[in-house]
Amino acid sequence: MMRLLSIEAYKLFRQSRTYYAILALLFIEAIVLLSAYYQGAEIIDLVLSNVKDTFYFQGNLLNGNLIIYFILNSFWFHVPLLCMIIVSGMLTTEYQEKTLETVFMQPVIKWKYLLAKYIVAIVFTVFLVLLLSLTSFLLSYGLFGHGDLVVYTDGLTFFEDNDAFYRLMYAFFFGSLSLVFFSVASMTFAVILKESFKTWIVAALFLIVSTLLLKIDLGNEVLNQIAFFKLNVTWQYFFSQAIDWKVVIINSTLLGLYTLVIMFIGLLLFQKKDIG
Amino acid sequence: MISCQHLNKKYNSVIALQDVSISCEKGEILGLLGANGAGKTTLFKILLGLVTADSGAIEITGEGSKKIGGIIEKPALYSYLNAYENLRLFAKMQGANASRKALETALEQVGLPLNRTDPVRNFSMGMKQRLGIAIALLNKPSCLLLDEPFSGLDPLGIEALKHLIFDLARQNKMAILISSHIIDVLSTICTSLSIIHKGEILKTGATNTILAACTKEYALYGGDFKKASFLADYRTVINGNYMTVSASETEISEILFKLSKEQIAIISCKPLFDLQQLFNPMME
Repeated sequence: MMRLLSIEAYKLFRQSRTYYAILALLFIEAIVLLSAYYQGAEIIDLVLSNVKDTFYFQGNLLNGNLIIYFILNSFWFHVPLLCMIIVSGMLTTEYQEKTLETVFMQPVIKWKYLLAKYIVAIVFTVFLVLLLSLTSFLLSYGLFGHGDLVVYTDGLTFFEDNDAFYRLMYAFFFGSLSLVFFSVASMTFAVILKESFKTWIVAALFLIVSTLLLKIDLGNEVLNQIAFFKLNVTWQYFFSQAIDWKVVIINSTLLGLYTLVIMFIGLLLFQKKDIG
Repeated sequence: MISCQHLNKKYNSVIALQDVSISCEKGEILGLLGANGAGKTTLFKILLGLVTADSGAIEITGEGSKKIGGIIEKPALYSYLNAYENLRLFAKMQGANASRKALETALEQVGLPLNRTDPVRNFSMGMKQRLGIAIALLNKPSCLLLDEPFSGLDPLGIEALKHLIFDLARQNKMAILISSHIIDVLSTICTSLSIIHKGEILKTGATNTILAACTKEYALYGGDFKKASFLADYRTVINGNYMTVSASETEISEILFKLSKEQIAIISCKPLFDLQQLFNPMME
């Protein structure tokens, strides 16, 4: 198994598209930083215009913490989409270039080969989150400095600088679970669909529908709590005044289980399917 | 040794293979001859374990973890890696010896240069075929399956690959099964032939026996055939130094003998196969 893992990691990092994905991620980050640098103050003024007459704000609200929070919001769509494209490509290109046939003409066990791909995909997704978090913390604090974090969700919520730092860290950590879920799902789509374009379309659709369903009330308390698309919002809970750790842990465990189930389905289908 | 008995395979309502049985012994080169869509690739995919047969049995004897190696159609390689990296990756994948020495020996065995370090996407089809065979030979399988290995190769590439296949059968005593629709190549390399048509094996036997049965004409290159008056007794078409003659196996020997007696040089004599007869199930 270790051999297959090292081979998958080697293949992933020998392909130019992996570096394009990393560059794309950094490009998104750069755009957020540039937008904030040139237009951030105006946006803050607009958001706070209603409360400025009532409250007195001390310090700089356009600070590193707010910029990191902006970057974190790429977890909704941009970063999962990038992950899904790269991860599904790990399998679809092998189908299309028929290298999968060459692989399975060797004494290699099918489910172990795919499991290695899943594990490398998960590690790669976590690596992308680490890279994004590290660069966003360094650049945001370096360019915009420290300060209290103001977040507008249902209403305005303020967090002190030190508190904000930990909340952002937690959000990155628990947000990575959501990204891992989407990455694993895209690999399973690749097992079923085999073709790159079909897999990308279905993966993007899955992501869009999941995001849309997030806002929809299913009319049942239990369903609203356990439906997978309701669990991808967990990282946002760190921007409520009091963190509900119980919900965070339950949601993360459930999302982990969903991820395992989707992975298991993928392994089962792959083992049963003919190659070629 | 590799053999299969009564293999059947359907894709929805299309019959890909019907009651297919073949056998290839150690050191033997068995050719599987059939037109495009006859079922050759499906049979090879089943034998290599890529596709599951609906029914039938496969037996492959050999030692070690890998009993069979092969190439299906064009060799599929990691185009962004070079030849050495491809070979090392596939060697590591199956726990074969991945030392530099072993891999360089494997590359040399198939006649690939060691100084090519560019990605295999730049390689010619012949070089890709050779690398594909090197990968197939990793872990020393006792059987080798080559599906259309000569397609896309130039005449020099075909010759080189033929020599390599001969060597593997003779020196390594491998059972080699080759599929192709090019009769000329199979006729010069295979010890026995199986004819496959619409998913069925029509006939199997020694190459010369099978091909002799469907040879009614020969093509001769040489001197001035018009000088040979005895040729009037045969049905011939003469075009300068080229002649086709309708003759049986015995008659062609006589013709060649008489031509040499009349001091008309013969450069080559090639049988022209009657494909209708070869692929006709009624003419076994």
